[in-house]
Amino acid sequence: MAEQPLNAPAGLGSKIGNVAGHPALFSLIFAFALGWTIVWLTGGDPWFAYREMFDGAVTGSGLRNTLSRAIPIVGMALAVSVAFRSGVINLGGEGQMVVGGLAGTVVAIYMPGPGQLVIPVAMVVGGLAGALWAMLPALGQTRLRLPILITSLLLNYVARAITGYLVRFRLLDDSVTLTSTEQVPATARMPKIPVFGGVSYSLMLVVVLVIVIWVVYGRSVSGYETRMAGLNGRFARYGGIQVERQTVYVMAVAGAIGGVIGTHMILGDAYRYIDGELVLSGLAWTGLLVALLANNHPLLILVAGLLFSGLQIGGLAMQRNADVSWRLAQVLQALVIVAVASRLTFTWFKRRTDRGVTPGEVEPAGVGEV
Amino acid sequence: MSLALEFRGITKRFPGVLANDAIDMKVEAGHIHAVVGENGAGKTTLMSILFGLYPADAGEILVNGERVRFTSALEAIRAGLGMVHQAFRLFPTLSVADNVVFREEPTRRGMIDRAAGVERVGALAERYGLAVDPRSVVETLPVGVLQRVEILKALYRDARILILDEPTAVLTPQERDKLFEVIRRLSDAGRTILFITHKLGEVMAVSDRVTVLRDGRSVADLVTADTNPTEIARHMTGRQVDLDRRAPAHEAGSAVLTVTDLTVTGRHGRETVKNVSMEVRAGEIVGVAGIAGNGQSEFIEAVTGLRDVPEGSIHLHGNDITTSGVLARRLAGMAYIPEDRHGVGTSHLATVSNNLLLGHQRREGFQNKGWFDRKAVRRHARRLIETYGIRSGPINSPVSTLSGGNLQKVVVAREMSHGAPLLIAEQPTRGVDIAAIEFIHDRLITFRDEGGAVLLVSAELSEIHALSTRILVMFDGRIVAELDPAEVDEAALGYYMTGAHEEALLG
Repeated sequence: MAEQPLNAPAGLGSKIGNVAGHPALFSLIFAFALGWTIVWLTGGDPWFAYREMFDGAVTGSGLRNTLSRAIPIVGMALAVSVAFRSGVINLGGEGQMVVGGLAGTVVAIYMPGPGQLVIPVAMVVGGLAGALWAMLPALGQTRLRLPILITSLLLNYVARAITGYLVRFRLLDDSVTLTSTEQVPATARMPKIPVFGGVSYSLMLVVVLVIVIWVVYGRSVSGYETRMAGLNGRFARYGGIQVERQTVYVMAVAGAIGGVIGTHMILGDAYRYIDGELVLSGLAWTGLLVALLANNHPLLILVAGLLFSGLQIGGLAMQRNADVSWRLAQVLQALVIVAVASRLTFTWFKRRTDRGVTPGEVEPAGVGEV
Repeated sequence: MSLALEFRGITKRFPGVLANDAIDMKVEAGHIHAVVGENGAGKTTLMSILFGLYPADAGEILVNGERVRFTSALEAIRAGLGMVHQAFRLFPTLSVADNVVFREEPTRRGMIDRAAGVERVGALAERYGLAVDPRSVVETLPVGVLQRVEILKALYRDARILILDEPTAVLTPQERDKLFEVIRRLSDAGRTILFITHKLGEVMAVSDRVTVLRDGRSVADLVTADTNPTEIARHMTGRQVDLDRRAPAHEAGSAVLTVTDLTVTGRHGRETVKNVSMEVRAGEIVGVAGIAGNGQSEFIEAVTGLRDVPEGSIHLHGNDITTSGVLARRLAGMAYIPEDRHGVGTSHLATVSNNLLLGHQRREGFQNKGWFDRKAVRRHARRLIETYGIRSGPINSPVSTLSGGNLQKVVVAREMSHGAPLLIAEQPTRGVDIAAIEFIHDRLITFRDEGGAVLLVSAELSEIHALSTRILVMFDGRIVAELDPAEVDEAALGYYMTGAHEEALLG
């Protein structure tokens, strides 16, 4: 009855202690150790491979690429985590990203005016489109009792089909062999911060988003209410929190972030919407993994997002220089998540046997203590 | 007489707490031995050590004079120990016989012999006067019978020493008396009974000896015939306790809650609450008595807005709240201490502070335009912890680190601090210790005296009896009687709760 809680809480000092003893760190060590073994067993030089991966991620153009790729990874992680933390299982990040991305692109291509106006409008429209798209499964759940887990996932395919149709038959640029829209005019492209060889200003946007979300979680009534709903829905409902309405809001916010990130991917990166490109990138799913690893904590999402981005970029360098397939980076990502997941199962089991706590709520205490 | 069970100097330390401190206890064979103590006194730890769930740091256990050290419950069962838990561990869709013989099935030519199972279980039930039909399906049986099934499970495994953990918590007075008969019969047949409880009346009624635990130590070992409830209570709490309190009658004011012709339909379209009308006035405590499963939970869910109301109406201070959500009802002046404090009343992964905040989070003074005044929130938590004597760590430690009684105080503190005119208290003292019960009862009475209206639902007849201004009895979804606590005793209440008076009326 009286043993220490698994997530010893309290002041800043122990919060840092918490991070160090976090299952995430353990998972990373586990993943890298196993990855090391894999390379070693297959006859490679693991230390060399890891050094090349690290160098590739942070030196030269590697740093710029890592930062650039971190923008959508962190962004999509924020989008899903906003929902996850509230107990809403949003698997529709991909759909929200492509719908928002295409909507933003259309604005950027066809809206006249200076960039200072067009870019923000495109972002807002992209966000709105993503939000509306995300509200579909939310309303389905609150009105028709269709589980978001299923509908948000399936709507990804619908989103692909609709955007595919629009690109192919309504917005196609005939001058190139790609299935793609026209290029976004130079004025409507996201400008670059002149550091590390130029990183899109969207990076600032994402960092601001991280901070805003962090503050909202910790200090606002909505942050409290969403967290209570995420920890124990029956408790929240009993306390007068309008969980149904909240689900719709939360999904709208998640979708808006997804839509903005989708828009950034075109305005700040690809400059034209190529059908299937956003889906192929797997960014929405990498984001989901990052959210899991960071346990929905916005600051940790920033850290974990940079890490995964570095893994992906460094993995390519490793393949070039150490002759180890870049797929190792993917293996490492997967191992981290497997480790996180099994650690959660482990604590769940331990809790259940030690204290008779009802199973089912495995998410440890974390963000948003008022 | 020989000793069936002996604990010698059992000590168990958890980080920060000495749960068992050199506990000695001797249980004579064939006796009914009560173990009493408040929550946290060390009863559960002691039984867990006995059953090998964790090892003792020091001390030894003797069963029939032989030193034992079990490493699992299975070993304990093989050695002749049987435990009947508070929460039943049965397969609802299987028959009584199937449940009893599970993992010890009689076989014939390698196949399970169900007929033999039914026969053996039936014979066993008959021998000890446990009226159970071995063929009936468990989920169709009332709680009192389920408990007999649990006892049968232990007897079927030939338990010589039977441990009953708070066995009467879920029983009506009539069922309780039947259980006591069974216990006596088992004891006459030479079985040893260890009876864990915190109800002193039961200790007096059924036990031969009683061991009192307090703060992890055995503080008294008494022969029941030579002691009395006041003495036992003094040992349990370490101070003098007044056991015979009755809340004095009080002048009731105007109606706060009015329920008219309320009908609730459960799953499968079955009516769980049928045409209930009642009111709760300012300055009174209306107690709802009834055996669990007679519509009380559904009735309360309907009143609190956790369940839709298909028919009838609910008014709070004259405002129609029949179709309002939980939030609107709370704003209209309703506070609610729910029955299930773990699943509904608290969020065990959230902090103490966050648990105390729920329902207050939008209050003026706690927040401004959606942003918390964190100092005010912390002040609120500290104030409640102090006023209600909640023993907890720092306010941002998870609420799951609190004991049951303190957890309940968190719920009570939070709900009563709303200053709402109507308080719905569902099983407000279930499973909490005497000190916490006294405290919560005092709070309810004070609230009533200050003009608050209380709707009290409790399975604890003594609680209903001691606190209520009026008692409503629910049976089969209806209110079958309204009684004055001064004019009925608990036995009469139990009579109404079983619907017996209606059958009597019908002849």
